[in-house]
Formats: sequence, C-alpha cells, structure tokens
Amino acid sequence: MPRYVMVIDSSRCINCKTCVAACQQENRVPYGYARNWIKVGAGATSPGLHFQPGNCMHCDEPICVSACPTGATFKDPADGVVKVNTALCIGCGSCIATCPYGARFRNPELGVADKCDYCPRLRALGREPACVAVCPTRARRFGDLDDPASGLRALIDKGPVVRLTAPATDTKPAIFYLGRTSPTDWPKDVTPPLPIGLWGAIMAPLTRVVGGAVLLGVAGVALRQLVAGRGEGQREGHGKAS
Amino acid sequence: MEKRPDMIRRHSAGAIFMHWFNAGCWIALLATGLGLIDNPELQPLGMWWVRTLHALGLDGVLLLQVHATLGLVWASVYAVFSLVRLKSETWPFLREVGTFSPQSDLTWVLRKTLTLTVGEERLRAKGLATELPAQGFYNAGQKLFAVPAVLGSAGLVATGLIALFSRAWPGGADVVQWALAIHFLCAALVAVGLVVHVYMATIAPGEGPAFRSMFTGFVPEDFARHHNPLWHERVAAGRDETLAKRDKRSI
Repeated sequence: MPRYVMVIDSSRCINCKTCVAACQQENRVPYGYARNWIKVGAGATSPGLHFQPGNCMHCDEPICVSACPTGATFKDPADGVVKVNTALCIGCGSCIATCPYGARFRNPELGVADKCDYCPRLRALGREPACVAVCPTRARRFGDLDDPASGLRALIDKGPVVRLTAPATDTKPAIFYLGRTSPTDWPKDVTPPLPIGLWGAIMAPLTRVVGGAVLLGVAGVALRQLVAGRGEGQREGHGKAS
Repeated sequence: MEKRPDMIRRHSAGAIFMHWFNAGCWIALLATGLGLIDNPELQPLGMWWVRTLHALGLDGVLLLQVHATLGLVWASVYAVFSLVRLKSETWPFLREVGTFSPQSDLTWVLRKTLTLTVGEERLRAKGLATELPAQGFYNAGQKLFAVPAVLGSAGLVATGLIALFSRAWPGGADVVQWALAIHFLCAALVAVGLVVHVYMATIAPGEGPAFRSMFTGFVPEDFARHHNPLWHERVAAGRDETLAKRDKRSI
C-alpha cells in the first residue's frame, strides 16, 4: 500500500501561485476558492520574505475525521490520503471548523466540504498532482514515502524537517517542510463544534447508559414474569371510576 | 354455548394503519439512522452495527438515501393524516395524552412499576396497596411515552428537514450541527421509550386485549371497564370523544 506524502522545500518557492491556479483548474474549484495556498513569512529568500506553499496536511491523526458524524471524511487506508465522500457528506461543516490548518471550505456549488485530495484523476493516469507537476522550481515533491524510488524518505532523513502543528494539537501532518520554513505559528488549536462535542461527550455515552439500563430493566422484568408465572400480574386491581 | 364478550371499538382503521405504519417506519429509520453514525465517538450502539449494515451491502450513501427518503415519506403521510383527521383523531389524541392528573398518574406509574418489578404478591404481603387508580383512554404509562414520542417526532421532523436540505442551507453551519445533535437526541429519547412501550404492549401481563385491539380495533368491554374505567364510562354514556360514535358489537 502506498503512503502518499508531500515534501516541500519552501526556500525554493517564488510565490508565483502557479500551483494554486493549476489546482483550481484541475479540480474545478469554484471561483474565489482554493484548495492550496502560499503563505508569506519572514525569511531571506526574497528581501525579508519567505514563501510557504501548503495544502491539506493529510494528517495521520486527522481531527476532521473525528468530527465527521457520517464518515464522509475519512483517511483512506489504501493510500493515506484524507478524502471526502461527497455523496455521503451532509454539509454540516464540522470538519471545516476542526481543521487546524483551515484546509477545508464549503463548496458553494455542491454544499459539501471541499479540500485537496492529491488529484486522483491525474494519479490514476500515473501523473503527479497538478500543484506538483506545474511548480517551476520543484518546491513541491509528492510520492510514496515507503517507495525508495520516490526519493522522499532520503530527503526527509537528510533533514532537518519541520512538521507544522498547532501549539497543543499534533495531528501528525503528512507534509514535511525541508529546512527552515516560515511562518510556523499559523496552525490553530481547535475543538469540535459545540453540538458535535456535546454529542460525543454527553449524548452518546448517556444514551448508552440509559438505553442499556432500560433494556436490562425490561429484560429483568420479563424474566421475573417468566419465573413468577404470567398469572400474577393479570390479577391487577383497578380503581373505580369516580 | 359460552357467551362471547361485548366488544368496544377502541381504534379506527386509520389509527391502526398509522400505528403500524409508524412502527415500521420508526424501526427502519432507527436502524438506518444508527447506521449513518459512522464515527465511534458519536455512535451509541457500537461500530459493529455500522459494519454489519455495510457488510449487508448498505453502505453509507445508500443508508443516507434510504433514511432521507423514508423520513420524508413518514413525515408527509403523518402530516396529511394529522390534518385530515384533525378533529376526529389528532386533537382528541393530543388532548388525551396531554391531560395529566399528577397524583393519580404518579400513583399509577409507581404502583405499576412496583407490581412489575417486585410482584403483586410481595407488595400485598408487605401491606402495600396494589390497586391502580382509574385510567382514561390511555393509562399514565402510555401518556408518559406518548408525550416524548410526539415532541420527539416533531423535533425529528424539524431537524431532519434541516439535515435533508443542509447542503443548500442558507444559514450558518452551526444550525446544521445543532440540528444533527438534536435529531440524535430526539431519536434516542423516543427509542428508549419505545423499548418500554414494546414490552408493555406485547409481553407485560394482562395487556393481550389491548395489543390485539391494535389489529382488530376492538377491546372486550369488560377489559375496558377494568383497565380504562374513565373512558368506559364515557363510552357507556355515549360521550366518547376519542371515536366519533360508540361502535359496539358482539363477536
């Protein structure tokens, strides 16, 4: 099974935004929206500036998956890519609110969550994702981390490597930044939206406890009825109408 | 020849149909709804249920389609029935289940619960009263289930509609998220009550005639006199408000 990751040398990025435009074209992203980005940080590449390409981190422990009620968002065990099953997505936006990287948006045409999926159409043709293929400086590299031919493992092992995480939330992102990158303080700590949080913390456990107690109680009463005999309960007394 | 008991009409054909239509839809909606919660933190039954449905060929997308379609059909049929039978069925039903006599109803629930759990003989041996207060068309237990069932169903329809049109929902995502959580809560509330209802209606001793009336529409007059004396009084006096007219027959 391949384990697709992206390795980014942000020092090579020249902020041309070709990757953003190519992604929008390939994936028919609605006007005004984008699945990837280039952030501007402090650095020495340009005078006082450093450009940092990015997209969905395809985390190994994605909070967006934990927040999705229907399983429409999932990390595909076949390739490690975090995907959205748009036919199952009900557009509740829980995943959008819980992504520390702001990598998701609500597609205004489909009404469902939208994000980078590493261009499955191109990959099926044996090609690289659009953002990787068009990058003029090869700042973005993509491939199977477990495939020595991809060379990505060697790049990472050469180090140093930065994995961008929120201060208190390490979702094990699968994008590796080579060397120093900037900015690094933009991923945000997130919690599930209040209704989904309450559902998971209180409603579901309470339903388990109350439902289980009621089932056990009913089973106990039925068992008692079986042992005591059906006759007893039928001799119940009733008051007279007044 | 043994004299056959007089029978009193308790449920109209329409009410019987709606009861079983409701039961069928409810079970199917509960099964598919639980199958749609493909998230171990939110799933109350356990992921085995989701995996079982998937193994049976009911994947998430199909479950969503079945759940949404069936929910819409259920709500639509119920809305039409409730409106068409507003005066003859809906309003009398709501008035009946919404009328509580706190002291009498509480006594009924406590004594019935103790009778079922401790046993009538033991209660009598301890000198505790087992006589149940006189009940109307519905007993206190049925009313106690009916109120959350009605409110829960209303909540399910309202939040279900928001979820159904969530992709085109013009409001904020938080409204859809609250709708989903409340939808779950309403379903849980009614499902838990349903367990007790099914036991009380099918297995609990002495309820056979009432259960059979959900098929035939009739209960023996003697049964009504003992189980629902307040209603039986109204029927006997020709003041039955639940059904338009007294429909008494011998079988």
